[in-house]
Amino acid sequence: MELSNISVTGLIVLIVACLLVIALMVVNAIVMVYAERKGAGFIQRRPGPYEVGPWGILQPVVDSMKLLGKQIFVPSNVDFFLFFAAPVLAFFPVLILFLPIPFGPVLTALKVPDGIVLILAFAGFGLLANLLAGYASNNKYGILGAGRAVSQGVAYEIPMILALLAVVFQTGSMNLSEIAEAQGRWPWSWNIACQPLAFFIYLVTLVAETNRAPFDLPEGESELTAGFHTEYSGMGFALFFLAEYANMLLVSFVCATFFLGGYKGPFLDGFWWTFIKAYAVMCFIVWIRWTFPRVRFDQLLNINWKWLLPLSILNLWVTAVVLKIVGP
Amino acid sequence: MQQDVTQGATTVLEYLAKPLKALQEWLSPVLPGDEWAAYLAFALYVLIIIGGALGAVLSRNLIRAMLGLVMTFLGVAGMYLLLASPFLAFMQLLIYVGAVCVLIFFAVMLTRNTDGGEESRLPSLGQLFYGALAFLAPLAVAGPFIVMHAGRQALETPKTESTASLGAGLLGSYVLPFELISIILLVAMAGAVYLAFRGYAPKRGGEKT
Repeated sequence: MELSNISVTGLIVLIVACLLVIALMVVNAIVMVYAERKGAGFIQRRPGPYEVGPWGILQPVVDSMKLLGKQIFVPSNVDFFLFFAAPVLAFFPVLILFLPIPFGPVLTALKVPDGIVLILAFAGFGLLANLLAGYASNNKYGILGAGRAVSQGVAYEIPMILALLAVVFQTGSMNLSEIAEAQGRWPWSWNIACQPLAFFIYLVTLVAETNRAPFDLPEGESELTAGFHTEYSGMGFALFFLAEYANMLLVSFVCATFFLGGYKGPFLDGFWWTFIKAYAVMCFIVWIRWTFPRVRFDQLLNINWKWLLPLSILNLWVTAVVLKIVGP
Repeated sequence: MQQDVTQGATTVLEYLAKPLKALQEWLSPVLPGDEWAAYLAFALYVLIIIGGALGAVLSRNLIRAMLGLVMTFLGVAGMYLLLASPFLAFMQLLIYVGAVCVLIFFAVMLTRNTDGGEESRLPSLGQLFYGALAFLAPLAVAGPFIVMHAGRQALETPKTESTASLGAGLLGSYVLPFELISIILLVAMAGAVYLAFRGYAPKRGGEKT
């Protein structure tokens, strides 16, 4: 569907797409909670969940029931409106973020010419929601977590955009479908082969942008109990949780589309390749969470400003020069 | 196989769209022509902009005021969408919501934000006067322009400009205004650095800094 001629049919496509995205978010959260706990168990040489159902596969279902049933606890002297606006603000922009992702050649909800700008624009709302949550909780841990979230989020956004911009330079388009289409079928013709540095920078920044270990300083439990969502219980916490996993899935899909060939793969193109690649990136995120120790906050900012930013500018410059010499 | 799936999906969608199209036709005598959706969106965005602005001005809490500002930015982004320039709309959100509002938030958190601060008091008469002046100044600039061009017929539908031609324009025919804007930003940044570091300058022999 093109953005310029929104018709009644187009509206129905959008509504169906939003419903499917909600379903994908919930199923993804359930699968990833299980995968994460089981993966953590294997990495730390313990069994992980095994009590509920065979191999513990019903554990996330029981967990979500528990979350739904919990009492919603509001601390005293909070700004009531902001306190409940924050989880909603964290959850709903994610719906829009998934619309321009090309899951398959035809399986794209919204073919906008500037798809990646749309994703980056609405990703800013997630950061704003974290800030509001930390501020509205009337809690020192919350304020500290929000302060860390903002300095980390604003800092890591720059190398992320520059790394994606190198691929946009190369393809000459900001449309995610065209970027996927411009890549070949086999791994050596994907963008990862000609933009390895951009891929590496994006991989580091996506971990930081989704507040995952080793960059999970805004919610580092050893220092801040739970950071910006310390005071949230029940559904408020569940919405933050869903949004976090949905954001992880989103950056994985963007990574798959930009660097790993999108829906193109050996033998038969299709949405299965997008999902396989995105979940490979998800597994990578889970893997490094349980293998790397958490960095210190000054180290976190130094990695960004002293290494990733110069490297991404260099990468962009080299890409531009090579494109000028070789021609697009 | 994929072609078949697309065909099937299109048929199903057309079937689903039938009652909505019938509703649209049934309502068409009441609605102002084919542009009713645009009018509806325009009214909605105007409401969002004005509501957000009022929220920003009238709230007694700086963070709530900032949320009002975010709402206004959203409405302005919607206006850009209505003018068929999605790139500008997304950039509006990326820069103003994603960066400017987040930095405002950071500044509010770094300063001490108590409930009894300056923003929670009613404005004095002088402040109201300056506020009215600040409100009327853009009107004085834009008002004659609007009156001058009042009778002119606008384009039927907004022209869609591709992002590539937008970039070519910024670095081609409009390069001078573009660079002038960056000089303004540079001045603002230098001023901010000066203000931030004035307090930290090393004091030499009782000399005032």
